[in-house]
Amino acid sequence: MQAKPNIILISADSLRANHLGCYGYSLPTSPNIDAFAGQGALFEKVFAPGIPTQPSHTTIFTGQHPVTHGVVAHGGKAKLGRGTPFLSEVLLENGYTTCAVDTLFRERIWFGRGWEYIIDPSLHHLFYASVTQEELNDRAIHWMKTVPKGPFFMFIHYWDVHYPYTPPDRFRGQFYKGGNPTDPDNHELDEWWDHPVGAMARDTWLRTANGLITDPNYVTALYDREIRYLDEGIAALSDALEKQGLSENTMVVLLADHGESMTDHRIFYDHYGLHDCTVRVPTIIRWPAGNLKPGTRFAPFRQLSDIAPTLLEAAGSELPEDLDGKSFLPQLVGKEEPTGYDQVIGCESTWQSKYYLRNSRYKFILARVPDLLGNPDRELFDLEADPGEDHNIAAEQPQLAAEMEKELEAWIAAKMEAAGRTEDPVTKEGPVAVEIWEQHRG
Amino acid sequence: MEQEPQKQTMADAAVPQPPAKPECPDNPAASNEPEQVLRPEDEALVVERLRELGYIE
Repeated sequence: MQAKPNIILISADSLRANHLGCYGYSLPTSPNIDAFAGQGALFEKVFAPGIPTQPSHTTIFTGQHPVTHGVVAHGGKAKLGRGTPFLSEVLLENGYTTCAVDTLFRERIWFGRGWEYIIDPSLHHLFYASVTQEELNDRAIHWMKTVPKGPFFMFIHYWDVHYPYTPPDRFRGQFYKGGNPTDPDNHELDEWWDHPVGAMARDTWLRTANGLITDPNYVTALYDREIRYLDEGIAALSDALEKQGLSENTMVVLLADHGESMTDHRIFYDHYGLHDCTVRVPTIIRWPAGNLKPGTRFAPFRQLSDIAPTLLEAAGSELPEDLDGKSFLPQLVGKEEPTGYDQVIGCESTWQSKYYLRNSRYKFILARVPDLLGNPDRELFDLEADPGEDHNIAAEQPQLAAEMEKELEAWIAAKMEAAGRTEDPVTKEGPVAVEIWEQHRG
Repeated sequence: MEQEPQKQTMADAAVPQPPAKPECPDNPAASNEPEQVLRPEDEALVVERLRELGYIE
């Protein structure tokens, strides 16, 4: 067996952790992912330091917090510095054959760094996120069978769970408790039409021959069906690895860049807002040769910035100096006791410009710019009493809110100084898409 | 060369006709649900809107 493991990094865009059985969901959306978790290690509390897709994937590949690498918005002006270490590039330099089965390089050029092979079956679609897990798997499996002569690093980025939610027709009937999906008297989604992405959904994928889909429970069922479809893809990829004899020494990491708000916090089927439904992400690792104890669950806080250093250490690569994340490899393979962070910090600057600071009990959210939903600029949630983050207690606990704000600002200032920044990137970028939202509202 | 999607308006887009009989023999609940199809013109409109948002280039 080769000394260095193969590594497959799977990113399931917009996959919300608590819609998976292994993360406690009551519906059978993920039997294969659950089985996969049972063969490896599941991390219960991994958080995205930046959302949505572009900031988060930039963090995954650099091991840096968005305040460090500067990419805080989706579609923002900031570009990743050429000198910033990039996971695929470092692995390539260390003898790995690298392959991305992915479309991200079409969004931002730095996602093309370090790949000897880029395979993009989405070219067959008008909208690249319409590419399916079957199309991606076809190419990924073929590549694994035919190309690598030594250790390889493959990145597969599935878009199935990202909107538009258009699962294959054979899933019709699943996860919907009944009712009338197109009841014209149901106005629960009307507020969504005030948002450009909601209006797009209304004008396209929510239209059916029976009328407009108006029942949020039905939209959630469509989302869950997409998860079930993705789940089949994970099983197919897993089977292919087994058949190729690659399963034993291939570290497979399944994660999401961010979760998804269903209708939580008046955010409809999208991925902004710094609530746990969106910033807490599933992370599961299987690596039989790494002696992972099957079914292990890790409870400490970790962040997506820990992924790059962990994979680099598993590959035997030297870690670049300027990473914010910390490798959890020794814990993963049972050489150390599980540890993590006391608190995690993240940000967004696309539809909203905000930071969050979260510890095991509380979350504090600070807006740099007032949001368009009318939320206060400072929100504090007691996650023990209010895990859904529905009741802002900032006014009831002003001292705690002030302390957390002070701690957050000190952290941002220190991180900026370390990165050589003179301006907070979230303030600098601003909520890049909000002008369009305002125009849409008219 | 990447194909530019055609501009599409709501008025241009014909509403698809309902299927005569949904074919989901293993799933009786499916017969009560609408067929959901993302037509090429819908997909083009998604691309157009996301371009406007700066989400894609």
